[in-house]
Amino acid sequence: MDLPRRGLPPTADAGPSGQDVTVALLGQALLSCAADRQSGALRVYGEPGGTVHVVDGGVAGIDTPGAPGPDVVLLRSGRVPEPGWQDTFTVAAADGRMGAELVRRGLIGSGQLEVVLRAALADSIFALMSGQVEECRMESVAVPSLLPLDPPADPAWLLAEGMRRLRVLASMPNPVRHDRDRVMRGHRAPPVGSALGGGQDGILALANGRRTARDMGFALGSGVYALTLEFARMREAGLLTVSSRRTVTRESPRDRAPAGEPAPVSDTPAPGAAGAGPAGQPAELPRRRKAAGGQSRRSQPGSGQPGSSSALLRLLRPGSVPGPEIPGPETGQK
Amino acid sequence: MAEDALLAEMRSLRDRVVGIADTALASRDGLIIRADTGDIDPEYLAAMAAAALGLGRRMASEVGKGALHEIVTRSSGGYVATYAVGPTALLVLVGDAGLDSVRLHRESQITIKNLELLLAGDGPRSSVAAGLAEPSLPIGPTTPEHPRSAVACAA
Repeated sequence: MDLPRRGLPPTADAGPSGQDVTVALLGQALLSCAADRQSGALRVYGEPGGTVHVVDGGVAGIDTPGAPGPDVVLLRSGRVPEPGWQDTFTVAAADGRMGAELVRRGLIGSGQLEVVLRAALADSIFALMSGQVEECRMESVAVPSLLPLDPPADPAWLLAEGMRRLRVLASMPNPVRHDRDRVMRGHRAPPVGSALGGGQDGILALANGRRTARDMGFALGSGVYALTLEFARMREAGLLTVSSRRTVTRESPRDRAPAGEPAPVSDTPAPGAAGAGPAGQPAELPRRRKAAGGQSRRSQPGSGQPGSSSALLRLLRPGSVPGPEIPGPETGQK
Repeated sequence: MAEDALLAEMRSLRDRVVGIADTALASRDGLIIRADTGDIDPEYLAAMAAAALGLGRRMASEVGKGALHEIVTRSSGGYVATYAVGPTALLVLVGDAGLDSVRLHRESQITIKNLELLLAGDGPRSSVAAGLAEPSLPIGPTTPEHPRSAVACAA
């Protein structure tokens, strides 16, 4: 009943319930982690796919090529200057103390950092849920999160926030696809050099027909969802136009993981591994690990959790899960 | 036609791998064959990539670690990767901080192979010199011309 309406154009290779399957797979995996209080890396195979860092059943971080993580947001937005960031990284990243050290050095307030971390989580879950998920697989932590949210976020809250964003986009008559639609200056865009204010200048400066909202998010250090809404507003006003579309292909775990025996793995992250690698890069050899209860390839919900998609979607109905507020891009807050 | 097929192959890679911003196909001495770039000067990019590839190949040979796969420059804002394409050409691509590098490793191999076949399989057009675009031509049908600017290796 409350399923997102098909406001988004159908993907070329997904059936009518492609998004429902995506949401259900991801939701079941995360809620299962929560129920079993698992810790580790939940690999999400698909497009864009990524890794959800789970700590004690909660979500501490998400790495995905689909949305900029908090490190990119802090750096590219200019919120934390690069030299300060580099110095902090050098001393603190390997010990997992990046966040604390940034605060200690006065580069960001602890409250502000928490806001950025939560906003990045919401943006990343939106990127995962609005794409395609083929499979979720719990694996050992190869590269722990550089800036983990501590205490970690409640997965139910995070999923509900992702669903809310999907619903907002689905309710729009002519939404912009954040992962496919490349934008160009529109016929009403002011001449180069004149200022519009409100962040639109930054967008127009990068609108050369080659960037999607996701691409601009990484370039500007802005949230992808907020940019998507802004793109839609600017397109309505003739400031932007969609000039081309990216064609998206699916990926399955067969393409990524090598065949072989599951190897015994340790929960100890490799020393000095924190922060290495671009967002979305899983370990070179993802290894299957039997989680509590012995998991098959598809994550099974733990006992007491909803076992069906419809039960999961009822859980994610608006207002069903109270959670901390995060500033909403719809209201224009930063 | 070989020219469209080269560009189509490069654009397909940019579609398949999230986070690739620009690509350029060039000869081993750094002259552009095809470019799918935005604000980056493709000729400057290709010249540097050629130098990097030459140095990288000597390095790999010197340490005896087998055939070179790729040369990578990693920065806080992005990623530049250079690959040999057959014996006469190279492919350079620029990615942002969210580049899906795992998918890139797989997809780039397919693209490199296809580019190699396209460059080799065209009869009288197979020489690299015949495939060079004139420097003054626009980059491609959907890429607007941009004033040449200093190369920025971060996306």
